[in-house]
Amino acid sequence: MFTVTAQITMNSLHATVPTKRSPLRRVLGSPLLAPFNQPQAWDRLTTAIKPTWSWAEPRAKVVRVVDEAPGVRSLWLQPNRRFGSFRPGQHLLLTLDIDGAQHSRCFSLSAAPRRDGLLRLTIRQQAGGPVSTAAHALQSGQVVRLSKAQGQFAPTESELPLLLLSAGSGVTPMMSLLHAMADAQPNRTVHVLHSGRSAETTIFAAELRELAAAWPALQLCLHASGGDGRLDSNRIAGHVPQWQQCETLLCGPADFMQMVQMMYAEAGRSDQLQSESFGRIAAKVDANAAHHSVTTSESKQLFTAQAGQSLLQAAETAGLNPRFGCRRGICRTCQCSKRSGTVRNLLTGEISGAGEELIQLCISTPHSAVELVL
Amino acid sequence: MNNKTRLSPSALTAFEAELNDLRKATMAKVGSRDAAHIRRIRGVAQGSAIAGRSLLMFGWGPISWVLGVISLALAKIIENMEVGHNVMHGQYDWMNDASLNSQTYEWDIVCDGDHWRHSHNVEHHDHTNIIGKDHDFGYGMLRLTESQKWTPATLLQPLYYLILAANFQWGVAVHDVKIGRFVKGRMSRAEFRERMRPFLRKAGRQLFKDYVLFPALAFWQWPRVLLGNLLANLIRNLWTNAIIFCGHFTAHAQTWTRAEVEGETQGQWYLRQIQGSSNLEGGPMFHLLSGHLSHQIEHHLFPDMPAPRYAEIAPQVREICARYGVYYNSGGFWRQYGGVLARIVRHALPSTPQPVTA
Repeated sequence: MFTVTAQITMNSLHATVPTKRSPLRRVLGSPLLAPFNQPQAWDRLTTAIKPTWSWAEPRAKVVRVVDEAPGVRSLWLQPNRRFGSFRPGQHLLLTLDIDGAQHSRCFSLSAAPRRDGLLRLTIRQQAGGPVSTAAHALQSGQVVRLSKAQGQFAPTESELPLLLLSAGSGVTPMMSLLHAMADAQPNRTVHVLHSGRSAETTIFAAELRELAAAWPALQLCLHASGGDGRLDSNRIAGHVPQWQQCETLLCGPADFMQMVQMMYAEAGRSDQLQSESFGRIAAKVDANAAHHSVTTSESKQLFTAQAGQSLLQAAETAGLNPRFGCRRGICRTCQCSKRSGTVRNLLTGEISGAGEELIQLCISTPHSAVELVL
Repeated sequence: MNNKTRLSPSALTAFEAELNDLRKATMAKVGSRDAAHIRRIRGVAQGSAIAGRSLLMFGWGPISWVLGVISLALAKIIENMEVGHNVMHGQYDWMNDASLNSQTYEWDIVCDGDHWRHSHNVEHHDHTNIIGKDHDFGYGMLRLTESQKWTPATLLQPLYYLILAANFQWGVAVHDVKIGRFVKGRMSRAEFRERMRPFLRKAGRQLFKDYVLFPALAFWQWPRVLLGNLLANLIRNLWTNAIIFCGHFTAHAQTWTRAEVEGETQGQWYLRQIQGSSNLEGGPMFHLLSGHLSHQIEHHLFPDMPAPRYAEIAPQVREICARYGVYYNSGGFWRQYGGVLARIVRHALPSTPQPVTA
């Protein structure tokens, strides 16, 4: 599973790649024709007839819910035609409505493309994670919003043996790749090294064994970190001695991925490694620290904010000029997107979540390191 | 006019805390009900606009024309007031819905969204009823208090007001261009051109849409579409104007000088928002059509609270005001609007500032 701990808001969610639109589509999409051409106006009608019908939005109906391991559940989804198609290894954004607010997270597709068009997402319930909790509460028949499939995570056409290296829910894109390769490239040697906490909690252990039984070129190794110890570079080399000769695909928790990336860099094999990022680690929250560092993701600028100081003041002290208006939290001119980090609202004392959301710079003071889109 | 209430420092702190607590408790309740409300109302506005424009374009006979005009006027009123104004305040930003985001929303009116966000959200809502700082006070053309300068031309202001009311969307649209400042030579030609650009772009679009594109789409029926659109815009202008003038210019709405608000605390700011605003009483439909600006006091206290919550907190705000002896300016539409019209006429005549009786 590819999951971002951050909440992804409209900025990234709707950051569509600029595509060339035909003159006709440009005319039909012109704001001058509103509301005749506004998707929401017609979606209210179409969803009343059939909940997955939509003018522009990929949507899907949950058709089956399967428990894979303790705290891990797969959703089988029937998407509408807006979803289009996907390639094995890709992920999508799942958007759920939680008490009126839209929350989105990335999840890898964990099944290969199928003739009946069904998609599988496999989701581990995170303690206190609103989206994974809401996703686990979904029942068949309910309708969810999706993005189109995105991402480039896939093996190249090379003849080298392939190593799929994963930990925890990082196994999900590997499942999609494996199911597709079993049919398309059964002769390429594939090593699967997957680490779970224990044999019972390892996601897809049975499904992987089933694949290996019917596929001679597949070398399966399941590592239980609870009994065998953490899967580190020595143990990886022990399980797959020929790792340096393999094209490697990697997905898992951030610290695990860093360790493997280091291992490949030291061996000068970084060009053989592809990683699917598992998301940001939540920054450490410390309300009593004297200052916190702030990064602005676009300019990569770094500054510090003193305890209790508003982010607007701190940015200005550092020589930045963010837009501002009333400086008392009512006009939203200084509103911007926080990628990660925890802030406190100086007006209400409310503590934010750690993920992506809109904040007002003039009334927010950091409680952890913060990354902003300025 | 009654006098402004001034609270002792300790009472002011307690007053501020009570309002802060009310905000916190109410915002904690905001959720799916508010999301459903704004989506439903946007749907009503869109449906009403589609029905109205279709009736005007493809209808036949006077009945369909009248229905088309009413339907389109209603759509414009709801879209401007309950959807546009409130969304642009950020009341629904928490929904993470890009189509309801305060910074990108664009409404069906000649006023450019960014101009509105500046003149309304920043200047008017922060500097409410401070003479010289709140450019919404009298819109730079009406004299509504003794402390504004009188000139012989002021005698004609009842006439100016009628012209403004009928063309209110244009008054709103040029508001942030600040033409007065340019005329008085306090703005460079370059800055003026820069400020005119968004206005001209948006106004051009709206004129093209209502008076060229949609009439043309109706072929030989173009006159009924053109006239219908003109009338729908006029109805919207008169209604929004009446509601908005009742917000801050009623008989008992107070004003402040720059000196009075120096070093203002949050509590004093609340106090000014309450005493500078006035409410209108009416049923749920009336509140909806006014974009909940009928709860102007609650809106000015908490501009980014989803508007349907204003009706819910109004009794509590009123009760808090009563306990602290703060005048809560509320009345029926005709009483309040009558007060506005009387004020326009009264201050058209020369008047001198009354000495403040503490």
